[in-house]
Amino acid sequence: MRRYVIVWLGLLGIVALEVLVTLVRPPTGFLLAALLVLAFIEATIALLYFMHLRYERRVFGWSLVLAVVITVVLMDHFWFDAFRLLHQRLTTP
Amino acid sequence: MWMFIVADAATFAAVLFAYGYVRVANPDWTRPFAVWPSIVNGVVMTVILLTSSLTMIAAVLAAQAERRAVAVRWLGATMALGAMFAALHLREWIAMIGEGWRLFRNPLGGTPLVGATFFSITGLHLLHVVSGVVVIGVIALGYRKSRFGAGHLETTGLYWHFVDLVWMFVFPLIYLLNVR
Repeated sequence: MRRYVIVWLGLLGIVALEVLVTLVRPPTGFLLAALLVLAFIEATIALLYFMHLRYERRVFGWSLVLAVVITVVLMDHFWFDAFRLLHQRLTTP
Repeated sequence: MWMFIVADAATFAAVLFAYGYVRVANPDWTRPFAVWPSIVNGVVMTVILLTSSLTMIAAVLAAQAERRAVAVRWLGATMALGAMFAALHLREWIAMIGEGWRLFRNPLGGTPLVGATFFSITGLHLLHVVSGVVVIGVIALGYRKSRFGAGHLETTGLYWHFVDLVWMFVFPLIYLLNVR
């Protein structure tokens, strides 16, 4: 149980870090990147210890990683269109 | 359970990516959350949900050690924390609706997608939390009557930790990224 309490304290520490970074009020792009990195670290710790992925067969863990990577890569295709819309300047008729 | 988690993770990933798309593509995106009370409330909710994962682990460990009464008590604590999370979330929803936020209406004049994404994503997560509390209750009752074993608690715990894991993305992306 002691190990899980330490993991829980670590996760609380990451949440505190997320809030601190936000309160510094960095540019939105930097904030998004920082929050995503911290969220992925947090989720990985939760997967490994709370969801016991660390104690599962290694091939099972790696197949999950592969699925996540493929999903993220496939979903990343439309960002370019989002940035296009952000910078779009419509001409007056 | 892992197959369900992977499928559900894909659902949340899709809605979060869709949110990211409209968040980036809208230059007049409204930031509705003040540090007090919204972010403080969000931090309290996060601490409650993380703590409920710890109590769930305590329940599973007690069940594996054949300490049934202790395991049921920890399951009760997990349900109480889940219910507390849901209550805080609903209180926040009611406050936002009181300010004029709706699924398709932004009272501050920007894109209505702010309310649409907020209520749909947090609503989907809230549905998972409430379902989790009900399922843990059913499993606790069955476990007390010896109809379920430690394996059932462990599988239910996997789902509960997944709900916690999703919140690890919802809180920073929906709340912290939209602080005024």
